[in-house]
Amino acid sequence: MKDSLKSSSYDALVIGAGIAGGEAALNLANTGYKVLLVDKELSVGGKMIMLSKVFPTLDCAACITTPKVSEISRHPNITIFTGSEVSNIRKISDNEFVAKVTRKPRYVHVEDCTACQLCEKACPTSVRDQYQFGLIGRKAAFIPFSICSPKAAAIDIDNCTLCGACERVCPTHCIDFTMETETNELHVKTIVVATGFNLFDPNNIPRYGYGKYKNVITAMQMEREIAPTRPFHTILRPGDGKVPDKIAYVLCVGSRDATVGNPICSQICCMYSIKQAQLLMGALPMADVTIYYINIRSFGKGFEEFYQQAKGMGVNFVKGKIGRISEKENGNLILRYEDINKGKLQEAEHDMVILSTGVLPTKGIDGLFENETLTLDQFSFVGQSDMLASPAKTSIGGVFVAGAATGPMDIPDSILSAGAASSEAISYIIQHA
Amino acid sequence: MKKKKIGVYICHCGGNISDYVDVEKVRQAVEGEDIVFLAKTTMFACSDANQREMVNDIEANGLTSVVVASCSPKLHLLTFRNVTQRANLNKYTYVHANIREQASWAHSDNKIGATEKAIHLVKAAIAKANYAEALETNKVKALKSVAVIGAGVAGMKAAISLSNKECEVVLIEKEPFVGGRVSQWDSLSTTTETGKEIVNRLYNDLITRENITICTNSEVISNKGSVGNFTLKIKKTPRYISTSFHPEDLKKAIEVCPVEVPDEFNFRLTPRKAIYKNYPGEYPQTPVIDLKNCTRCGACEKVCPAVNFSEEEDIIEISVGSVLMATGFDPYTPAYGEFGYATSENVITLPQFKRLIDEQSDTLVYKGKAIQNIAYIYCVGSRQAKGDNTYCSRNCCTSTIHAALTAKNKFPDINNFHFNRGLRTYGKQEILYADSLRSGDIYLQSYEDGLPTVTIEGKKTIVKINDILTNGKEIEVEADLVVLVTGMVPRADNKVGTLFKLPKGRDKFYNEIHMKLRPVETVIDGVTIAGACQGPKNIAESVNSALSAATKSYSIISKGELESEPLVATIDPDRCTWCGACEAACPFDAIMKSEKEGKIIAAINNAVCKGCGMCAPVCEPDAINVTACSSTEIMSMIDALV
Ligand SMILES: Cc1cc2nc3c(=O)[nH]c(=O)nc-3n(C[C@H](O)[C@H](O)[C@H](O)COP(=O)(O)OP(=O)(O)OC[C@H]3O[C@@H](n4cnc5c(N)ncnc54)[C@H](O)[C@@H]3O)c2cc1C
Ligand SMILES: Cc1cc2nc3c(=O)[nH]c(=O)nc-3n(C[C@H](O)[C@H](O)[C@H](O)COP(=O)(O)OP(=O)(O)OC[C@H]3O[C@@H](n4cnc5c(N)ncnc54)[C@H](O)[C@@H]3O)c2cc1C
Ligand code: SF4
Ligand code: SF4
Ligand code: SF4
Ligand code: SF4
Repeated sequence: MKDSLKSSSYDALVIGAGIAGGEAALNLANTGYKVLLVDKELSVGGKMIMLSKVFPTLDCAACITTPKVSEISRHPNITIFTGSEVSNIRKISDNEFVAKVTRKPRYVHVEDCTACQLCEKACPTSVRDQYQFGLIGRKAAFIPFSICSPKAAAIDIDNCTLCGACERVCPTHCIDFTMETETNELHVKTIVVATGFNLFDPNNIPRYGYGKYKNVITAMQMEREIAPTRPFHTILRPGDGKVPDKIAYVLCVGSRDATVGNPICSQICCMYSIKQAQLLMGALPMADVTIYYINIRSFGKGFEEFYQQAKGMGVNFVKGKIGRISEKENGNLILRYEDINKGKLQEAEHDMVILSTGVLPTKGIDGLFENETLTLDQFSFVGQSDMLASPAKTSIGGVFVAGAATGPMDIPDSILSAGAASSEAISYIIQHA
Repeated sequence: MKKKKIGVYICHCGGNISDYVDVEKVRQAVEGEDIVFLAKTTMFACSDANQREMVNDIEANGLTSVVVASCSPKLHLLTFRNVTQRANLNKYTYVHANIREQASWAHSDNKIGATEKAIHLVKAAIAKANYAEALETNKVKALKSVAVIGAGVAGMKAAISLSNKECEVVLIEKEPFVGGRVSQWDSLSTTTETGKEIVNRLYNDLITRENITICTNSEVISNKGSVGNFTLKIKKTPRYISTSFHPEDLKKAIEVCPVEVPDEFNFRLTPRKAIYKNYPGEYPQTPVIDLKNCTRCGACEKVCPAVNFSEEEDIIEISVGSVLMATGFDPYTPAYGEFGYATSENVITLPQFKRLIDEQSDTLVYKGKAIQNIAYIYCVGSRQAKGDNTYCSRNCCTSTIHAALTAKNKFPDINNFHFNRGLRTYGKQEILYADSLRSGDIYLQSYEDGLPTVTIEGKKTIVKINDILTNGKEIEVEADLVVLVTGMVPRADNKVGTLFKLPKGRDKFYNEIHMKLRPVETVIDGVTIAGACQGPKNIAESVNSALSAATKSYSIISKGELESEPLVATIDPDRCTWCGACEAACPFDAIMKSEKEGKIIAAINNAVCKGCGMCAPVCEPDAINVTACSSTEIMSMIDALV
């Protein structure tokens, strides 16, 4: 665990420690460069570490992410700052960028914490757990999630009542309320932006009833329900804890929809929905799963076969866009939709609805740069200045982009994009030595 | 032998294992074994926290060997070897037991049986650990050079990227000109640059670099050696034209050549001469004589002194540390009669259509007839319900919509009808689809069980479909031109893949080690794959994969030295009689005849041997031992298993 602001000079700064940032950092580090990897969250791993299994191989996401994460966190050439943000990036010359890195206090000394969870038990304050996407609660003193890295507690100071219960039980005395925000000036030769994506907030489409009807959840919440480290021990609907047996997926929620300002396709949601449907059929053999779609975009290696496999397993695919969802007294949901094949409006009852929400850009990345302009594309993703011939190049020489920060993409595409960004960054360092 | 102190860790895999295997029972079953010092269960053995605990356990208790019972060794053998190494234990004392793929997943219908089997597997691993010895890795010198095979966008970009990293590159292209498929496209989606402009830009960058050698008209014909040091033989076919040609003379030479053959560059839409260049700005600039079709009439020689039939084929040998394969794809060729292909005058493929609209201006004419209605039939040769190509070719939806829009902008009178199977303009490409709808293109859709038909009625070509978008109504379009949206298939000529023993996937494209996390590495150490030879990709995706492959190839060789596994076969020189049986059995060509103290015996090339053990059972006099898999070890494992 590297936890101190030892050196303020690195070869490369990687912003965002999802799979893209992690892969880029590893490539740089394995070729001998010193890397600072910064993530604003309390753990590295991005979205991928939260997933259940991955399409189309159905590898367990935790099983393939954790070794990467541990390789990253152990690598002698990689320094990790979690809970940290970068700002005020200035390009001084062709081989020097200066930036400010700000680390918010965790109020726990990571190197001493044994993750014994005693503080969690002692803490009297409960809030929604953002790492379980609100499915369950967590304490104000908490370990982010079971496979987080660094594996250490943190105090959520916004919700903490400063009762001191955790401090008293902690056997290693590593809770420290006097910790303060640290800022440091950073000097690097090149930068990789790997800040990933945001998920569309379905509250913006009120007719689907998310937030109002308890049994309407998002696909990310379902990922957590079917993950090996799932919060409940089984799959259930949040409304009443009943095991669902007639499940619906609504695709393109917040994608391909100019009315919510996002006309593009999110590229991953067809596939992750098909994946979840297969996993649900496995976990709940008696359940019916229906996927309501506009087009199924199973375009990648092994994807079409995966789609056909889901059909073969009995997943019901209905071509049609959902108009609105309403709730019955028993918590079941009525979906009104236009059935394209039948050419008419239909209604169907389901006991749980999953909204396959789309991919939106992480906002504000251009604001991190001070004396040069990081150009965004028309959808606010990080712009690619030579999109076909050098997809990792941005409008600033020496700043490269990886993963879903450039637009929607799945894990293999993020890995490839990170490979390109790190390749460009290595070349840049060598060429500007 | 010093008594062993073994640490055993049994993983829940977060439920992947413990949902079916009673891991606590497994723990109890092995805990009592004499050589087992400690036995623990863990939620995720691979997690950082558990790895730290293992290091502590090893150091605190002086363990001599570690067994982890978890998932496939493919995933985590290296992870746990590294753990032991961090605890200053020789990493080859680590033994892996796979109780996920081999027990919990394989027997999810029988929890008791799965648990029983897991116990046996763990016991066998413990038995092996009892014999596990410290071994040293072999060090192999690595040449800081890479052979890039194929000079399409992927290969060219990879070469540039490696050159930037101060690596020697040999770029080998079997065609006389560089650029691959992209040089065949003029307008491209999502950019204003043409394909030819992109290729020219890359080529002009390539030739400024001293550390890149470009070999066109060249093919790899043999491969020896392995990661760190591959020795390749390259056959260079001459152009029969000297580079100091006079352009005017050459123009004349092409004019006078009497031979005409179908032009593959234009997908056989037009003919070309035996002496040719595909387009004026093509690189390298020197044209070429295609000797297979040349009749040696000598007409060109008379008008152009640069023609030189005495140039000879050359075979050169190069040694490189790594090989990057970027051989691209072929467009699918429809079967005779498939949607009227070859049986009907006005049925062409998408690549042909792209060439057609690029070559023409003002009005669109095909075979002398002005074109108004164009029917595009999607997924030809892809997503086949009957047929080998079950995959989706990823790009053709976007390429077709783009081509149709380009055609409409160029020839405003045309009408586009898209007979599709559900459009896949994924990501930002969706915008193109929206543009197309706005321009008035008509979309008709079916599923795999209701594909459109092409019929000839007198002089008319009719395309019919039961359109699911209009309630299954039968709709027919009289088409002046039918464009078959042919997908991408692997290169028909796979000689080079065979040379490197590259495995192929279900879709017959080259296969990566791990589809999710290691998409450019292959099971052949030191050989990476890039671009469309791994699976359908557009240009940006091909370039991303090319740069990734360049990084991987570079990181293998950048240190000038690499470690190879000590787990190799060894020969007992006294027993070996050199019958050659092992040489034939070895799938990696690691065994050669050699002489030791006057005796002819087999010798193992440690850098190449994978320790697969194929040779050992065929050896009559039992002269072969595979390190860490000796007969004693295997027998003790079998005893523990049964
Ligand atoms: C429900 C769901 C299921 C999915 N299932 C699959 C699947 O089965 N298979 C598959 O291939 N893909 C799947 N995906 C897609 C996959 O999650 C993405 O491809 C992948 O996460 C992209 O990785 P990334 O590193 O680019 O972005 P992210 O995972 O978003 O990581 C970005 C990181 O950057 C950090 N960050 C952002 N801004 C800043 C900042 N300003 N400063 C510091 N750090 C910052 C974030 O905290 C985050 O850790 C799924 C996605 C979803 C939503
Ligand atoms: C109809 C159509 C339209 C397209 N339009 C677009 C578009 O608008 N935008 C876009 O981004 N993408 C487009 N694409 C995709 C684009 O063509 C590919 O992404 C790109 O060609 C892949 O590049 P590559 O280098 O991997 O393969 P290739 O272009 O196939 O190049 C491979 C090279 O390797 C050489 N080679 C093969 N075998 C050997 C051997 N044994 N030894 C030596 N050399 C060998 C070949 O001669 C060739 O030069 C389109 C594809 C098609 C079919
Ligand atoms: S902060 Fe203290 S009490 Fe909380 S998990 Fe860490 S060591 Fe345990
Ligand atoms: S991937 Fe599928 S669900 Fe997601 S936006 Fe595209 S079409 Fe809709
Ligand atoms: S990209 Fe489109 S046309 Fe090509 S195979 Fe896939 S669905 Fe069919
Ligand atoms: S099979 Fe055995 S005896 Fe025959 S050559 Fe090989 S090692 Fe020697």
